[in-house]
Amino acid sequence: MVLRRQIPAVLVLLPLAVLQLSAQTPTGVRRPGGGAGMDYNAYDPATLERGKTTFVSQCGGCHGSNAKGGEGGPDLIRAVPVIDDENGNLIGPIVRGARQAQGMPKFDLSQTQILEIAAFLHDGVRAAAERGTYKILNIVTGNARAGEAFFNGEGKCNTCHSPTGDLKGIGAKYDPINLQSRFLMPAGGRGNTKRTTSPIVVTVTTAPGKSVKGTLERIDDFNVSLTDAEGNYHSFVRKGEIPRVGLKDPLQAHYDMLPKYTDAEIHNLTAWLVTLK
Amino acid sequence: MLKAPSCSLGILRKCGNYSLAALLVPALLVPTLLGAAAAENPILDPAKLLKPATDSWPTYNGDYSGRRFSPLRQINQLNVKSMTLAWVHRANAGPSGPGTIVGGLGPDVPPVAGRETGFGGLQIKATPLMLNGVLYFASPDNAWAVDARSGKELWHYFWKTTGGIHIGNRGVGIYENWLFFETPDDYLVSLDARTGKERWHIQIADVKQEYFSTPAPVIVGNHVMVGTGGDSLDVPGFLEAVDPETGTVQWKWWTEPLKKGDPGSETWPDENSMRHGGGMTWVPGTYDPALKLYYLGTGNPQPVETGHGREGDNLWTCSIVALNIDTGKIVWYYQVSPHDTHDWDATQTPILIDGTFEGKPRKLIAQASRNGYYFLLDRTNGQHLVTQKIIETMNWSKGVNAKGQPIPNPAKESTVDGVLVSPNSTGATNWPPPSFDPETGLLYVGTNETFSMFYLTDTDPHPEGYAAAERNAGGYGTTLRALDYRTGRTVWRHRYPGGGGSAGILTTAGKLLFTGDGAQNLIAFDPATGKILWHAGLTANVSNGPETYMLDGQQYLVVGAGDSLYAFTVEQ
Repeated sequence: MVLRRQIPAVLVLLPLAVLQLSAQTPTGVRRPGGGAGMDYNAYDPATLERGKTTFVSQCGGCHGSNAKGGEGGPDLIRAVPVIDDENGNLIGPIVRGARQAQGMPKFDLSQTQILEIAAFLHDGVRAAAERGTYKILNIVTGNARAGEAFFNGEGKCNTCHSPTGDLKGIGAKYDPINLQSRFLMPAGGRGNTKRTTSPIVVTVTTAPGKSVKGTLERIDDFNVSLTDAEGNYHSFVRKGEIPRVGLKDPLQAHYDMLPKYTDAEIHNLTAWLVTLK
Repeated sequence: MLKAPSCSLGILRKCGNYSLAALLVPALLVPTLLGAAAAENPILDPAKLLKPATDSWPTYNGDYSGRRFSPLRQINQLNVKSMTLAWVHRANAGPSGPGTIVGGLGPDVPPVAGRETGFGGLQIKATPLMLNGVLYFASPDNAWAVDARSGKELWHYFWKTTGGIHIGNRGVGIYENWLFFETPDDYLVSLDARTGKERWHIQIADVKQEYFSTPAPVIVGNHVMVGTGGDSLDVPGFLEAVDPETGTVQWKWWTEPLKKGDPGSETWPDENSMRHGGGMTWVPGTYDPALKLYYLGTGNPQPVETGHGREGDNLWTCSIVALNIDTGKIVWYYQVSPHDTHDWDATQTPILIDGTFEGKPRKLIAQASRNGYYFLLDRTNGQHLVTQKIIETMNWSKGVNAKGQPIPNPAKESTVDGVLVSPNSTGATNWPPPSFDPETGLLYVGTNETFSMFYLTDTDPHPEGYAAAERNAGGYGTTLRALDYRTGRTVWRHRYPGGGGSAGILTTAGKLLFTGDGAQNLIAFDPATGKILWHAGLTANVSNGPETYMLDGQQYLVVGAGDSLYAFTVEQ
């Protein structure tokens, strides 16, 4: 399922504020960071670090150092007693020996250590569930020289762009992922509303020799509107082919590339563009 | 301040007070026994669902077939141009409306701003039921009854939530006088449809495991069909049948095998992967009363956007399944996306068509699927008949195998440095209901021709959650398509010039097709040719499936757009 969510800016700041608070008991509520339905607790980094250290030394041998399962011990990030745990109420008894019959040894850990381990595990659950917070890894894996050749050759990018002109310093201006997104889908993509950069140019011909030209404001099957060079707004009712509407999208070449790119070409082009510092 | 859960009204599987619930069970058996004799003049006798009616819209798709075709023709090609607005109803969500009945287990003040209305504001995705002049519908945490003649609110129920993704709700089901809807924190809530007062609620699933529930319950006999959703934490999907009187579970069908050796387990590497294998059940299914089979499209496997750790076909995810209505046992299945890795669940309505194939009458079932293919099967046994690509941009498959199933190209599975895939994870099509018009023989579906980059973000051998990030790379917009049901080939298409979303579709014997574009227009098309015959600009995009019914000799067309319902008529 696809999730679309707008997070008010004020909420984004909240986790920063709660970092300062003690973490023995979870403090503050992490606002859904993207894709998740629960309000995950926010823990301070020191607590998480202590929890991780204890977990790796005491539990990691069986459950894996990232708690995703290992030699003999199950994955704990997707384990219901971890997900449903509150303040160690389910994790604590298991650590203290409630599941010895099932092969889970008893550990002599303090309540503080158990809470820190619980914090580490809960943060692992949050990290898996909140896909909006996933970190994209290294995408600069291509061959920069092949990327340059594509730019000047098959990609025909040099028809409109130049590494010493409009793209000068582009590798310093954007990180690799945004740089890649911008050549795949420049200016935020298509749409039926006004585009502030690289606007669509529309020509509406109402009678032979009589036309109005400007930047597209909006179009659907029934209306088209534009702003002309003098800044005047015009709108027209559309009835089938009348009036005649011509659209010229300066970014069309980018859309035409989508079915043509190979993934290697995308990787190579990215690898070259990031060098344009 | 947390209020005490309203356990006293319900049979509760998990409500924080098992002993209280247990004490109440004998008391609840009394009304159950009384309920065995049908209520006098109930709002909806479930037997009526077996005879498609034009004076009501009694279930999510209008009838069990999922066709969303109405034989009504008072509004037709000749007079549609004079169709006018009868009323608009703007729904008020949240706890504060006058007379709002408040239930639920969450705090008085929702922990997250905007949760009263759902993220992005209230979007009516429900197809309202219309019975005896009253419309019944729901949104996340809210249910309403509205006068179908005037659009005036009759009652409003609000559920205080404990969490869950508030992305949508597809509506309500009604059995006699009892209304049922599901909540984002995974409760099935039953109200008295006459008053909006709560009868009971039961827990469907654990919201902390990131389940959230959006389907409209479908009533078949004395079964309330309850499904759920949730893609964030690798949980197994299920469909269950619930007793409408008591809320007890009659049967539960898991969308994956539960242990090694069970049928289907050979399509998973181990028990751990199948028990975390996804396969959600978030769109209402269809039903053939003669075969007593309930048809459901199941969701994608999990982890969602990588196949690592779940090598194999991953049954019964991304499948069309036929379940015995009385036992919940699987009778046949057809998997439309073996080993999906792009979030392309196959939950889109499987439409029942009584048609002909290769010259012979056949009981068919058709799905225009999120992965970009159309499938036609024999619904008596699941025999595959047709697979046809429906969007031109699709680039993820290496073709189809001998069973007609797409063969995923492993090179188009998420990598760390990204792969460009069409369609994006929203898919070629999604939940908005399609329609089949038996008079044109065409199946109508809104499609998106899109691309996305998929980046693997979890490189562990046992990844979790989505395990990948996606960045949209644009595309070619949105198209309304008419497919020949026998071949799946596009007979006509209409590309919306402004792009935007694809909405639900209704066809009628008035030779009209109603749907919405991405520019807030409700549009009537000629279903035979795709010619536009009428439109009205609304204040939001059409957000549900349009419906129609006859009331007091007048045919109504009702559509949800954003926070409002709009009713249209041709004045007689």
